Amino acid sequence: MAFMRKQAVIEAIDLNTITPEDAEKRIIAGVKKYASNETNYASADANTPYLGHIVGMGIESSNLADITMSIERQFLTKMTAKVPVSANSNEFKFAPGELGKLRILDGQDALAATPGLSVKMLMDLGHMPRHETYLESVMSFAYVMACGDGWKMADALKKMAAKTEKFAGTERTDAVANLRTLAAQAKEYDATLADAAKLAASKAKSYANDKAGYDALNVELSLTLDKIKGLSAGGDAAALAKIRGEEAEIRTRLKMSSAKLRVSQEISDAAGKRRAIEDKKVSSVRAALQEAVSLAEKIS
Amino acid sequence: MALTPEDLKALRLQKRISCALSLPVSLMVALLARFYFRYRLDADIEQVRARVWEKLDRHEGPVIWAANHLTLIDSFLVYWAIFPLRRLHQAHRIPWSTPEYTNYYKLGGPLRSALIRLLLYLCRCIPFLRGGEDAASEAWRQKAFDKCAWALREGGAVFVYPEAGRSRSGWLEPRRPKDFLGRLALEVPSSKFLCVYLRSDGQIATTSCPPTGDRIRVIADVIDGARPGETNPRDVSQRLFDRLALMQLEWWKTSDMARNCGGNDVIDLASPLLRENFSEDLTQADEDWLARHLTHRELEYLSEQGPDNLFRVFWRFFCAKEACHKALGRAIIVVANGAFREIEVDLFKRKAIHLPTGLQLDIRFTDDDPDALHCLAVLRGGFIGDDETEADILWKVARVPPGVAPGAFVRELALDFIASSNDEIGSSARLALTEAGGLPAVIWRSIPQDWSVSLSHSGRYAACSFMIA
Repeated sequence: MAFMRKQAVIEAIDLNTITPEDAEKRIIAGVKKYASNETNYASADANTPYLGHIVGMGIESSNLADITMSIERQFLTKMTAKVPVSANSNEFKFAPGELGKLRILDGQDALAATPGLSVKMLMDLGHMPRHETYLESVMSFAYVMACGDGWKMADALKKMAAKTEKFAGTERTDAVANLRTLAAQAKEYDATLADAAKLAASKAKSYANDKAGYDALNVELSLTLDKIKGLSAGGDAAALAKIRGEEAEIRTRLKMSSAKLRVSQEISDAAGKRRAIEDKKVSSVRAALQEAVSLAEKIS
Repeated sequence: MALTPEDLKALRLQKRISCALSLPVSLMVALLARFYFRYRLDADIEQVRARVWEKLDRHEGPVIWAANHLTLIDSFLVYWAIFPLRRLHQAHRIPWSTPEYTNYYKLGGPLRSALIRLLLYLCRCIPFLRGGEDAASEAWRQKAFDKCAWALREGGAVFVYPEAGRSRSGWLEPRRPKDFLGRLALEVPSSKFLCVYLRSDGQIATTSCPPTGDRIRVIADVIDGARPGETNPRDVSQRLFDRLALMQLEWWKTSDMARNCGGNDVIDLASPLLRENFSEDLTQADEDWLARHLTHRELEYLSEQGPDNLFRVFWRFFCAKEACHKALGRAIIVVANGAFREIEVDLFKRKAIHLPTGLQLDIRFTDDDPDALHCLAVLRGGFIGDDETEADILWKVARVPPGVAPGAFVRELALDFIASSNDEIGSSARLALTEAGGLPAVIWRSIPQDWSVSLSHSGRYAACSFMIA
């Protein structure tokens, strides 16, 4: 079957023979065809988000799986031996084996929002050696998201300020009132970014929701197991089969919920920790927010 | 099917025993709710009770308790919230409950199961069997109905969930009424409805019980059962659902959570990047790539549609998942980028499920065009619409003019569209778009509006939607 993407011939390279910087370059080169923001793509580095148009490469979500598959096509790894996650489990993970094709399993790429985070993912999964100096230059997923929100707010405020200047009369009065609200939101977010603990608290809400959902699902599972226990004595095979089906479904959901919880926990934890790279990026977003606020205040 | 003398004897005995033990049972319910689950009733609960009981005291006849349904312990919570201990001398007013047999009557080993059955007996329960279309299940349901009618004719109260099960979206949808309570009210015309909307502050999805330690807020009212001249169960049920829906809106007015949760997504099918994992004639696709997006069920459905529909059906799945992703985001349920398989779409039933939470969303494709797909998704806040009923979500799909940035275009499109949809706004100059919290929202009269604005663009197309409920 001739797929269009197979027109490009890619020579895969062993991840253990290259530096993280080389891996990053190859990853960036591999997503070129999906990037719709050429300017941002041209200056892309470890911390340029794949998605988004303001500071991101402008890749659309419909090509997210293509990013992961592009990474898989470009690299070889020794983590190729399939081993069960636990005894009696259908799921598997990779352990050291023969050099072969890189495979990224479902959910493993959940935090790989930038080329640097993709390289970090490869290190975390054991496909390449950990390189702490390189990782120092990679912004955490939590801050990629937090900064992304800041850039969007600053952009929206600047655009609204420019638009408001063109209005007159009651339209201007209304627009100025809205502009003040936007400016107040931007100020509040600037204050949140300034305080790592405050940012962590804001991310903790999402984690709390996921945790509540995970706990509720565990209760649901235990109730289903109770139902199975109750039905087992009765000999109603059809009802028992139905409940066993429910149990399997809840276990699948629980697995997904657990993966989701790990991601939100990581975001919540990372939001409270700020290294030099995060400080630098936060400073530039805050400067953009403050500039937009001052522009809005001049108009209003 | 009339109740046999044995049935009546058993019901009378259950009533006598439950009356005699109503104090310890009610105390146990209150203590468990307060100290085991650490729930708190809202500060205004005494006012709610006073209003309700003032109306109930004026009505000496039977009462049908009707409440929204989200957790497995709702009956206990509603009873705890509405029925104060000081009213226990009027034990005939304690409602008969109607729990689902398969959920409660065979739980755990023989001892545990027996204890639960005893508790349910003392809580005056009439087991219901909601599933099953066979004659035995039908007969069970009819008998349960007759028992409820008997309890009402005796001047008592019956507690039935009008939705006939826990709401999978976390939202009571008044446009999908069930007839059971209408039938019951017509069967015993002297009945009144006691409508209750109860929900804990952090109750997002359907779960076994509300989050531990949560505050529980209650809205309640007493309304007419069957009115003179009403003969159609649907009309009676519709009136009940409409009242519950209004109470639901009242509850959400003071909630920290966003009420309206909708989203939309557009896909330009002519975009070359959408085709690269398909063969040139679009009848085959890279299976690994498909499996990264679709669940097993979705893949089965896709293969059933045949090779000629492969490309379009795959993108229908994708479009629906993206719309759901945005709707879920409003409920602070973040679907990680690329976690496409967390959302399972049923294109035939026009439903989607967020698998980790079990939340169910309605989906709807609009503007079907050979070149583009556009999908709406609604989790809560309003009706998605169908061939007969208008939607509470409005949408617009437009072509992005050449040379214009799609991101900027879709934002202007949304503001113009919202302004044109509301006479009071008139001009988009009176609106602003904020991105606070990472999600777009419209500011009008300097206040961010809970309209669940959703923006999307793909290739030559841009689309927006917002909710008007």
